[in-house]
Amino acid sequence: MNTTQNSTHNSAENSDTPLLELRSISKHFGNVIALEDISTSVQASEVTCVLGDNGAGKSTFIKILSGLHRASSGEYLIDGAPVSFDSPRDARARGIATVYQDLAMAPLMSVWRNFFLGAEPMRNGVVMKSSEMRQTAKDEMAKMGIDVRDIDQPVGTLSGGERQSVAIARAVFYGARVLILDEPTSALGVRQSGVVLRYVRAAAERGLGVVFITHNPHHAYPVGDRFLLLNRGRSLGDFTKSEIGRDELTRLMAGGAELDALEHELATR
Amino acid sequence: MNDPGHQPSSSDPAAVTASNPAPTTSAPSKPKASVAGRDERITYRGPLRRWLISPEIGAFIGTVVVWAFLWGNGQTFGTSGTTLNWLDVAAPYGIMATAVALLMIGGEFDLSAGVMTGATAMIIGLVSRFFMGEGVHIAWAVLVAFAAAAAIGWFNGYLVIRTGLPSFIITLASFFVLRGLMLVLSKRLASKVYVDQITDQRGAKGFKNWIAHEWRLTDFGWRDPIFLTCVVIGVSLFIYGVLEQAFARRGSLSTTGLGVAALGSVGTLAGFAALHRTDGVSANVIVGGATALAVAVAVVGIGLSRWEHRAEDGRRAALPRDALLRVGLGIAGVALACLLPIPFDRNERRAVLTWTTSGLRPVLAIAAGLIGVILSARSVRRGLGERVRAAGMLKLVLFSLYAGLMVMGVALSLLQLTTVQAMRAIGMLLLGSAGVALILNARGIAGKADRRWHLVIGVLASAALVVIGLVSRADASATRFRVVLPTALVLGAALVLANSVLEYLLVKRTIAVPGPDRLSRRLQVAGVLLIVIGSAIRLLFTNFTPAQAAARRAADQPVPQNVLRETVLWWLLVAGIGAYVLAKTKWGNWVFAVGGNRDAARAVGVPADNVKIGLFVVVALCGALAGTLIALRYGTVQANQGIGLEFEFIIAAVVGGCLMTGGYGSVIGASLGAAILAMSTTGFQTVAGWNADGRFAFLGGVLLVAVLVNTYVRKKAAEAR
Repeated sequence: MNTTQNSTHNSAENSDTPLLELRSISKHFGNVIALEDISTSVQASEVTCVLGDNGAGKSTFIKILSGLHRASSGEYLIDGAPVSFDSPRDARARGIATVYQDLAMAPLMSVWRNFFLGAEPMRNGVVMKSSEMRQTAKDEMAKMGIDVRDIDQPVGTLSGGERQSVAIARAVFYGARVLILDEPTSALGVRQSGVVLRYVRAAAERGLGVVFITHNPHHAYPVGDRFLLLNRGRSLGDFTKSEIGRDELTRLMAGGAELDALEHELATR
Repeated sequence: MNDPGHQPSSSDPAAVTASNPAPTTSAPSKPKASVAGRDERITYRGPLRRWLISPEIGAFIGTVVVWAFLWGNGQTFGTSGTTLNWLDVAAPYGIMATAVALLMIGGEFDLSAGVMTGATAMIIGLVSRFFMGEGVHIAWAVLVAFAAAAAIGWFNGYLVIRTGLPSFIITLASFFVLRGLMLVLSKRLASKVYVDQITDQRGAKGFKNWIAHEWRLTDFGWRDPIFLTCVVIGVSLFIYGVLEQAFARRGSLSTTGLGVAALGSVGTLAGFAALHRTDGVSANVIVGGATALAVAVAVVGIGLSRWEHRAEDGRRAALPRDALLRVGLGIAGVALACLLPIPFDRNERRAVLTWTTSGLRPVLAIAAGLIGVILSARSVRRGLGERVRAAGMLKLVLFSLYAGLMVMGVALSLLQLTTVQAMRAIGMLLLGSAGVALILNARGIAGKADRRWHLVIGVLASAALVVIGLVSRADASATRFRVVLPTALVLGAALVLANSVLEYLLVKRTIAVPGPDRLSRRLQVAGVLLIVIGSAIRLLFTNFTPAQAAARRAADQPVPQNVLRETVLWWLLVAGIGAYVLAKTKWGNWVFAVGGNRDAARAVGVPADNVKIGLFVVVALCGALAGTLIALRYGTVQANQGIGLEFEFIIAAVVGGCLMTGGYGSVIGASLGAAILAMSTTGFQTVAGWNADGRFAFLGGVLLVAVLVNTYVRKKAAEAR
């Protein structure tokens, strides 16, 4: 399992080179400008939050990161070296794991079967090492602070937050260095969101770079170290936590200048 | 297929995690949760309890009920010969049900599965007889059939994947194409709507000997002793395993317990020895009762010797109303069961039948229907949970009415041609078992309030079993009701008694403990295996001793022979491989995943399309296997062979617990479903006076009940965790 070991080493040694960096990325679909001049970076052990309203370009952004789309212009760097992905498989091979909103889980299968789905450790290439798989799944999730009562229970019986957590733990176990989370809290209640945010933080503290996509600044601010704000395909700014406060972030998200104008308009009426 | 970058490499994942130190673990990890299977929030479930929430439980209950039903009614059902008969009928069903279940778990259907068995048999017939004018060696014909099946299966799968159309439509098209081709080709080449003389073709004899061998099993005088030994040892191991799982171990062996166990064992042995010598009804009953008591004493003694004794907890409570009600109903049920023989007198068949014709028959059927309504309403309501809302109520009412109608239909169809014996057996079985079940249910409720009630009601349940056994013994004429059933009931009573006493005296274990749990699991599995092996021997062989057989031959009398066909072994092999692949290999994992959430499976690197196409090919190949076996077995293939069977395969899979929408199910269950189909086909023929067409009504009822049980179990499985 060389990737995992390398990843922890690399992140410890070159802590100033970002794990992943985007320089002036643009994406055009024909004459539609989906993203224009976006720059940000993801450091090991840090959470970069990408905030934006619907239609801001978040999904295009994820698709570029995860290798589904190629940027029209700009540079995509991993460990300081430019890369160009042809498919999500390439991105995964470089340790970039994406956990999608709809989750890659089969609800009636047990937690451990889901955990290893698609990458079952085998004995003689035929038989699954099921007891080891149970143990490993349980241990890995415990490391993330996820305490599953019964590793044999169907994933469908877990709560939404727990399911997200299983997906995150799985990505971490498979040697992910950068974890891209697509709106993991959007479908969850307050408490469940808290659970997931805790795991987002736990993943970062294990040395991973995390890209956390959300439209909720209240979820982003407590866990984030860096904030990229998108609006209609353009960047409203790429801030570190020290550069921006919660209120400013909320204001920018809520429409910023446009909202000010609206306020002004309503006041003068 | 596998994405190398995504695979965690072939190295051992446990070693990886050990060598991969987590940089920081500030996350709130709870240390006690780190060892799998040792979590204090989970009570241990033994194989029995876990199996009770498995997908195949409905099919298992169905198999047992159908078997018991036919065993109780059929004159010959349950003897070794008929068992081999229905196994032979079940085998092609079982082979196909395995494949169809796998496909259904993978989220698809194949309506061409039935006709595939006929088409491949037809191909073998046609190729071996008419290819190149005079036909070819049968091995080539079989090879062609398998290749054709694989191609059709692949084509089905490919079309379903490429077009994204429902597999119902695609395979329906294949169904009609194959059906048409079979007729056209058979008329064109054989000038008939069937192809015969297949087994007379070149190489067919040898091939049949190899693929579809028939073993004639006779003359095994040791059959019954081996059967009994296996069952006794198996049951003992199983009981020990259950004890190990249920109670907390004590530090040292208790000498009192050992003494009691020794006493009980000596009593048991002495009792069996005495039973062997005694003759006459009352002596048998008395010695049998004493033996059963000794068995109970032995079990209690073993329990006391190894497991922790309970301290007096001083909890006293009145008998809860719920429990009282159930005990009352239970006693009433048992009493009715015992009184049932009075109106339905076995010596007055005709008389009874005439007075049922005059208006009583519909009354009886309606009464049976109402019981069905009440029972199904109860179970459905429990399934719906405490909050029964308006929509739920409507569903409940509709379900109950439907179930009631079903039961009524079955009752009517049986009443038309049934014997009085059958009616009595059904009534006694239903009323008696319902009564005992209610009393046992009350035992559990009362035991939560005050464990003394648990003991008292347990003794009552055991007494009820003894009473039913005595009535059955005193009343019945057939050996199975005079000897087998009472013996089983009295031994059951002994075990219920022992269980009640032990639960009163010992400390129940609620947490998982790896050592004893592992031992318990192994003992239970070993016990069940022994029982299965013993039963297999009992059912395979006739019990003629070589001397008896020789005497019969000398007297020119026929010696009964049981025919074991290789088809049955093929079924066991296919079902075994299917179950193993599903449970233990990554392909099984993938099948569950593509059926459960195809996009998710694809997203993590499962080759979802290939898995689905592969499943279609597996179904087609199993069809070819079944077709080959059919062609070799009968030597004749009708052009409509296999048409309509696809629904029976699907029924077998659904009864076996497969979810129609995919992602959940069991191959073992599907095989049990196939066994139910076959038993009801052959079983109805063995009961004199029964209309064999009644099996359809019966099957409908079985399907409904099994699906209800499966739904309920699935719900339980989801919430019990």
